[in-house]
Amino acid sequence: MSAVVHAHPESGPVLGVAGPAKNKRVLSEAGHRGQWWRFIAILIITAVVLVPIMVTVVLAFTPGPNSTATGLTFENLSNVFSKTLAATWLQNSLITTLATVVVSVAVAAPAGYVLSRGRSKAVSGYSLLLFVMQSLPVITSVVPLFILFAAMGLVDNLMGLTIIYVGSTMTVATWMMAAYFDSIPISLEEASWIDGCSVFGSFTKVVLRNSLPGILSTAIFAFLLAWNDYLVAIVFLRSNEIFTLPMGVQSFFQQNNTDWSGVMALAVIMMLPPVIVFATLNKYFSVGGIGGSLAGR
Amino acid sequence: MSSTTAPSGLARARKGLAPGGPGGGSPNPGNQNRKSRLSAQTSRTFFWLLLPSVILLVLIHGYPLFQAGIQATHNGNLIQTGDFVGIENFQGVLASPAFWKAAQFTLLFTIVGVFGSWAVGLGLALLLRTKIPAGGTFKVLLLLPWVVPIVVSSTAWNWLVATPDSLIPSLFRNLGLGTPLFLADPTLAATTVMIFKVWVSFPFMMMMISAALASVDNTVYEAASMDGATRWQQFSQITLPLIARSTYISWILMTIFCVNDFPTIYLLTGGGPVDATTSLVVLAYRTVFQDFATGPGVAIAFLMTMTLVVISVLLYRQIRKSSVE
Amino acid sequence: MSTNPSTASSAFSRRGFLGFAAAAASVPLLAACGGGSASQGGGGAAGTIKFWDMPWATPAYNDAAKKIAEGFSGANSKASYQLIQWNNFYQTFSSAIASKTGPAVSTGGGFQAFQFEQQGQIAYADKVFEALKKNGQFDDFLPGVVEPFKTDKGYVAVPWQLDIRPLWYRKSLFEKAGVEVPKDWATLLEAGKKLKSAGAVGFATGSGAGNNIGNHLMIMMMLNNGGGVFSKEGQLDVMNDRNVEAVEFMLELVSNGIIDPAAVSYTTDNLNAQWKDGKAAYGMLTLGVPERVGDTSGDIVVASPIAGPHGDKAALIFPNNIMMYTNTPSQEASEAFVVYYLGQLKELWKQKLMNALPVFKSITEMPEFTSDPNNVKIVKEYVPIAKTFASQGTALSADLAALDGGQALNQFTQTILTGKTDAKSALQAFESGLKSILKK
Repeated sequence: MSAVVHAHPESGPVLGVAGPAKNKRVLSEAGHRGQWWRFIAILIITAVVLVPIMVTVVLAFTPGPNSTATGLTFENLSNVFSKTLAATWLQNSLITTLATVVVSVAVAAPAGYVLSRGRSKAVSGYSLLLFVMQSLPVITSVVPLFILFAAMGLVDNLMGLTIIYVGSTMTVATWMMAAYFDSIPISLEEASWIDGCSVFGSFTKVVLRNSLPGILSTAIFAFLLAWNDYLVAIVFLRSNEIFTLPMGVQSFFQQNNTDWSGVMALAVIMMLPPVIVFATLNKYFSVGGIGGSLAGR
Repeated sequence: MSSTTAPSGLARARKGLAPGGPGGGSPNPGNQNRKSRLSAQTSRTFFWLLLPSVILLVLIHGYPLFQAGIQATHNGNLIQTGDFVGIENFQGVLASPAFWKAAQFTLLFTIVGVFGSWAVGLGLALLLRTKIPAGGTFKVLLLLPWVVPIVVSSTAWNWLVATPDSLIPSLFRNLGLGTPLFLADPTLAATTVMIFKVWVSFPFMMMMISAALASVDNTVYEAASMDGATRWQQFSQITLPLIARSTYISWILMTIFCVNDFPTIYLLTGGGPVDATTSLVVLAYRTVFQDFATGPGVAIAFLMTMTLVVISVLLYRQIRKSSVE
Repeated sequence: MSTNPSTASSAFSRRGFLGFAAAAASVPLLAACGGGSASQGGGGAAGTIKFWDMPWATPAYNDAAKKIAEGFSGANSKASYQLIQWNNFYQTFSSAIASKTGPAVSTGGGFQAFQFEQQGQIAYADKVFEALKKNGQFDDFLPGVVEPFKTDKGYVAVPWQLDIRPLWYRKSLFEKAGVEVPKDWATLLEAGKKLKSAGAVGFATGSGAGNNIGNHLMIMMMLNNGGGVFSKEGQLDVMNDRNVEAVEFMLELVSNGIIDPAAVSYTTDNLNAQWKDGKAAYGMLTLGVPERVGDTSGDIVVASPIAGPHGDKAALIFPNNIMMYTNTPSQEASEAFVVYYLGQLKELWKQKLMNALPVFKSITEMPEFTSDPNNVKIVKEYVPIAKTFASQGTALSADLAALDGGQALNQFTQTILTGKTDAKSALQAFESGLKSILKK
């Protein structure tokens, strides 16, 4: 990607600039020292922020009430996999979530593009309508939706759930995409139009191609909404084999409320996929947008 | 590059990269050209690009909203519509002190939730933008509060603060600060819920701002600092304007998240003690599903939605303004 | 949401008071729905009876219940078993019923049958009782468990287990503090003070997110003083002297620190932990506390009921029930299924899967049940003095579904547990809260 913008410490907006920029040596030394101060600062912040999560993780690896193990153990993890349908739930969650992410982006990106580039009253009206319609809380819309979906045979069914998740992420996803497209200069599209691209062509070939951070932010948002939801799932899903992980955790929680280590082990299983996803995608995040390509013009 | 002067650096930052530069009707050189070339084809393309979104909107949001409108004006239950009662439910709700108390809490919760998470998210996004050893790892770790299911994190928070012997009250005691009852004292419970909300939400803000910052050209800062702009000037005159649109959008989104937030409050305090942490959504939920008063409960949700719409229209105007700037 | 199955939703209500309007309003709807189901029923055509059950105990319970349900074959039908989570169960049932995908037979919340009856969705169980009379099982019901389900139009549901709120204590803490287990309110106060100075909680309870033990305690203490929320005639009767006295006593326990100052925020898990960690010395809880909190050493045992200042004794009980819905492939098959299922219930106690009292005398006499001395004590000492949420009255109704889990009682409980109130004004607020919910 030629459009990469590296974040030099020297040019960081707040803490980065330590002295007059003209003296490069002074600057880089100061930058180097600053680096470690910032490291310590962020280390402390992260440690404090993560206390509640560490509690969860420690409990997950602590032997349960009826266990003979001592110290830290993987027993809880293997127990929940052998005694519950955790593997199936994990699979269901992954399927639903991935489908939600893909479809959400596929719906939100074009709509976001229209919101960003369109300037008619109808477009801005739609943007507001999106907002108004979705601000009704989920708890009041679940029952009517269930009745509607039951008529279409989409109840107790991962596809029905996915449709609702896409619907619920859609507004926010559209806005997020629009906000990102706004930061893409229209001059790029203009160049492509001159080269003979259609509006649709420049959208897919120029705009989308340069929108990875925006798409990823949107995808992450959709991912988390679908991954963590249980308010919708609890009404829409019935069968144990169709449960998503949050539902599984819920049901396990209720029936084994003394088995903390089991609950926490499930919680850790639930945390892992998002963490893996973010850890892998992280490097794309630090990649800048298209500022660089503009700078080159 | 080296010849760039500060004003032109700033101007360029605003003009070329300012969020929404082209979106909100800014005077753009390509404007005329674009209009004439595209108007015929554009609206058709735009229509097709919007269509899937429109269908979903009607199905997932329009239909339930319509149903909710029916429920709010009837005296039925979840299964039967009941009799039409006009605005009686709304009148009843507006006359009840519980509604106003919940509205007050919702307002406070939202203000703290939005600006608290924004401030923390912005600070961390700026910090993480600089070069830090293992910076990427921290970025991922700091997303965890948002990633962990609320069911789990609320339990962990409960474990940390609920009883006098929990970790944090014990810590206070050992420091000679008394034994605060974080969830039993009304004021402290409200504070705890808000801190919990900020804890859950700041990663979202961090992510939004990081994405906005990622598209900022660093040479702008270089140019500015060469022209002797202080750090504060750089922050307030370059960074903030550049992320303005993202900021407004994230404020609007976070306002929706906060006002509509159910699990964060419900799982940690259930709305108590007494009603110290009862927000409008919690009140609506409890009215519909615990008091079984569907009409009044949905009416609460409706009133809440209307307020939300008013607030967001105001913020929405701000976005447009920030684009024109 | 760690709502405990046995406390979350088992609930009761009281028929009568203010219920006439609601009952009258539901008549035409009932008629309409009755007609619909008759045509659907189609003279006992074969079909699958959908049976929905709740997580009443550990997953092993649900496995066993599933086996029993699927073992049914009668009236040309089979049965399927579906487990429904307690969280948002009312939403789950309502949306399913509204979309005609609901169960034919189910267990559920203690009020649920009355609520859905009011909405015209319940099939009356009179024929089930006729069949039980024929096969002799009717005489096996413990006294008083069937009456609460009788309404003008028929039996709304069939009881299948009893949930009760006995008092428990931890022996070693009482020994350590050198006090006797309370016999009445005065000795409870004295013991509480001594236990407190020994570092223990003298009267453990909780009313945090999803925990309604505190709510139940408030009602229990009113009953314990001969009061309650309803009069014999089923009228709302909150401001009576006995209730004021009971609430004043609770406030005294709070101000003396005998009730934990943080109890108002305790979830079920916080409360369980307090028992497990040897902090709680005495308090009202559910059945099977040792198993529930994970301390089966025998140190936690059932205490005898205590007497109020006027010598009254009472316990709070919830008869959980099985209900049938009008939306069934065959009403005949629904009935056959319920009769079959009741006949198999003893299996669940035989395998020690239940955390509830049986409704059948014969089960209370089984060695598997009597082997637990706590069970025996509860059946002997608590069941005879037990009263429902209907307080001084006997019949249940839908109107009070909102009492158990509703906001009025919860706010009242939390107000008392925070102690910043006086008895009369708290009761007044409670009364007006109840009136606004129940006026429908």
